[in-house]
Amino acid sequence: MILNTKNLRVGYGKKTVVADINIEAMKGQFICLLGPNGSGKSTILKTIVHMLAPLGGGVYLNGQNISSLSNLEIAKTTAVVLTESISPGLMTAYDIVMLGRHPYTGFTGKPTVEDTQKALDALKMVHADNIALRYFGELSDGEKQKTMLARALAQEPQLIVLDEPTSHLDARHRIEVMLILRQLTQKKKVTVIASLHDIDLVMKACDIAILVKDENILAYGAPEDVLDEKSMARLYDMDKAVFSSYLGGVELRSNGYGNVFVVAGAGSGARLYRALVKHGFGIITGVLPENDIDFHIARAVGATVVSDKPYADISPDAYAQAQSLMSNVKFVIDAGFPIAFSNRQNIDLLRYASEKGKSIYTLRDPDEAAKIYGDDAGRFVYCQNLRQFLDVLLKAENLIE
Amino acid sequence: MAKEIVASETNATIGFLKRRWKRFALVMTLFAIGVFVFLVLNIALGSVNIPLSDTVKSIFGGHSSQSTFDSIIWQIRLPRAFGALLSGAALAVAGLLLQVFFRNPIVDPFILGVSSGATFMVAIAMLGTYLLGATVVSSLTLSMASFLGAVLVMLVALAVAVRVRDIITLLVIGLMTGYVVSALSSFLIAFAQSENIHRFVIWTMGSFSGFRWDHVQWLTIAGIPLMAGSYLMSKQLNAFLLGENYARSMGVNVKIFRYLIIFLSCTLTAIVTAFAGPVAFIGLAVPHLARLSLGTSDSRVLIPASILGGAMLTSLCDLLARMLFAPVELPVSATTAIFGAPMVIFFLIRRKTTI
Repeated sequence: MILNTKNLRVGYGKKTVVADINIEAMKGQFICLLGPNGSGKSTILKTIVHMLAPLGGGVYLNGQNISSLSNLEIAKTTAVVLTESISPGLMTAYDIVMLGRHPYTGFTGKPTVEDTQKALDALKMVHADNIALRYFGELSDGEKQKTMLARALAQEPQLIVLDEPTSHLDARHRIEVMLILRQLTQKKKVTVIASLHDIDLVMKACDIAILVKDENILAYGAPEDVLDEKSMARLYDMDKAVFSSYLGGVELRSNGYGNVFVVAGAGSGARLYRALVKHGFGIITGVLPENDIDFHIARAVGATVVSDKPYADISPDAYAQAQSLMSNVKFVIDAGFPIAFSNRQNIDLLRYASEKGKSIYTLRDPDEAAKIYGDDAGRFVYCQNLRQFLDVLLKAENLIE
Repeated sequence: MAKEIVASETNATIGFLKRRWKRFALVMTLFAIGVFVFLVLNIALGSVNIPLSDTVKSIFGGHSSQSTFDSIIWQIRLPRAFGALLSGAALAVAGLLLQVFFRNPIVDPFILGVSSGATFMVAIAMLGTYLLGATVVSSLTLSMASFLGAVLVMLVALAVAVRVRDIITLLVIGLMTGYVVSALSSFLIAFAQSENIHRFVIWTMGSFSGFRWDHVQWLTIAGIPLMAGSYLMSKQLNAFLLGENYARSMGVNVKIFRYLIIFLSCTLTAIVTAFAGPVAFIGLAVPHLARLSLGTSDSRVLIPASILGGAMLTSLCDLLARMLFAPVELPVSATTAIFGAPMVIFFLIRRKTTI
């Protein structure tokens, strides 16, 4: 165990921010703190690196109480990457990384050949050796963050504590930083404790997730166990968005009433659902087997889903339910799902809608539609891409209203 | 192939570091030559111009062609030249320490109110004693008053330094102390006699005239150890470039560091101010000149370069102050600003990155 806390209470002065914190960080673990802004993640991180004194309980570094250690002793085991932006003047990225050797250099701070090598290695490890000679002030946010990460590595720590290391970064650097941290924990067996906001990346990269909210630790455990729709909704008070543990990401929830019926399946509905939600449509969809990717996405975006058991024909009950829901909608959409034996009744569903006089919008090729639907295909509205499709739909909606 | 690329990046870095050391050596050599040249000029030039051969002879213990030359050189010009040189070095180091400490490029050695403290005590000595009936105030009294005032303000800063969480608060408190103390000085001015005010105003603009060997002695005894002490702080100063929190995380004892920086910079400033008055601009400009000509913020080279640069620029400015409108002598703060500021602007504009 590298670091643990016992009944730790953190805060400023007399004000407790979070209490009852019991973290056990093992060698090589990637631990992340999730929680809304102001929930106390930073306060916890500052306390475990001894930048803030604990209000109660204790922080133990390799079994020793951190209060009994000097700054230098802590520096040799723990490195930090903070949120505060720095302006070090005329220092190259290499110079900054070399500062990480501070706990090991002599009285004058003159680096040895070994120090130089370690600084260069650290730069290489974060793929930043190409920016080594540029002044820190001239680097992009992503390059700066990689430099600060390399500086932390040059400190040869057993534990790296990072406060929101992916904020302000573009998608590429965000993922790159996470991969570097992942690699550090696996290859170098460094323990990483970080506060993060990217729920999807936490799910995919971390070993332990700690959920922090309202002065409490809501949950502590493997992200696979801890992160689900309920815990995320509670953590972030989300009602307009949903975290789906199957999809490993957040979906925006529809807030419209059900005015569109989508017949989909096998992923054909995924982009369509999101596009419809984005433009304020309320979705009804079906009939989907419960192992279909579209089933999970539709549920996550808050659609009304008509579903059925997987690996079987669509049951008469489900079919009837779909028919009745369909009767009240303005638009029926054929998502262009691939047709197989088990979902052949969805074709009948669309034919039924067409006979009832509903306009059917489809993303299929007209020739393909003619083969599938026969004469009914002549009454369908065809769209080549999603953009065009939405334009048509939005225009039609305005006409109706 | 990947390995070759990595190797070439490493070599590039090492090559860069070597070239950089050459640049450091070159800049320092130029500064050192500058110091020597202006020192000699300061000794040779003046109301009586002394031939260079006589100057050199006299400095190295021989006798020049006229005995008056010897006494001018040894009793007037040499102490003054060394005074300017040492004061410049001390102010530059003090400015650098505080610029790093506050992570602020517009900080100068007087930011914590040291000069206001000195000025206030000198105002009491010059203007206040008149109210008590004294007529002439000795230069020793003025020096002691100035030093006392500066140290009192430093003690305030040290007392505050423990209590505040972040350094910017300390900076603002220092500024406010300065304003309050300056306001007290203006009370005294309001009640003073006009001829005393003239003397006082001239004092507040700084001058190296009347520098004696015992002044130089004091500057050497106190200044050189303090500058050496500052150099020994350069490792911690470098860590401080990333801010106090990072410095702490790398093992710096921040509390002791705060004390030491305030003590070193304020004492350096206090001894200079005691003998030369508040000499403006050197402590602000020289660290920038050194940083920009070296191309680094690394204190391990910046402190020696600031010492040389401060000595050089102050020698030049004192030379100009004496010579430009001779026999009228300008206050040295006038020449430091007029010649220092354009230099800083020139270097800054040539630079792309922030300092």
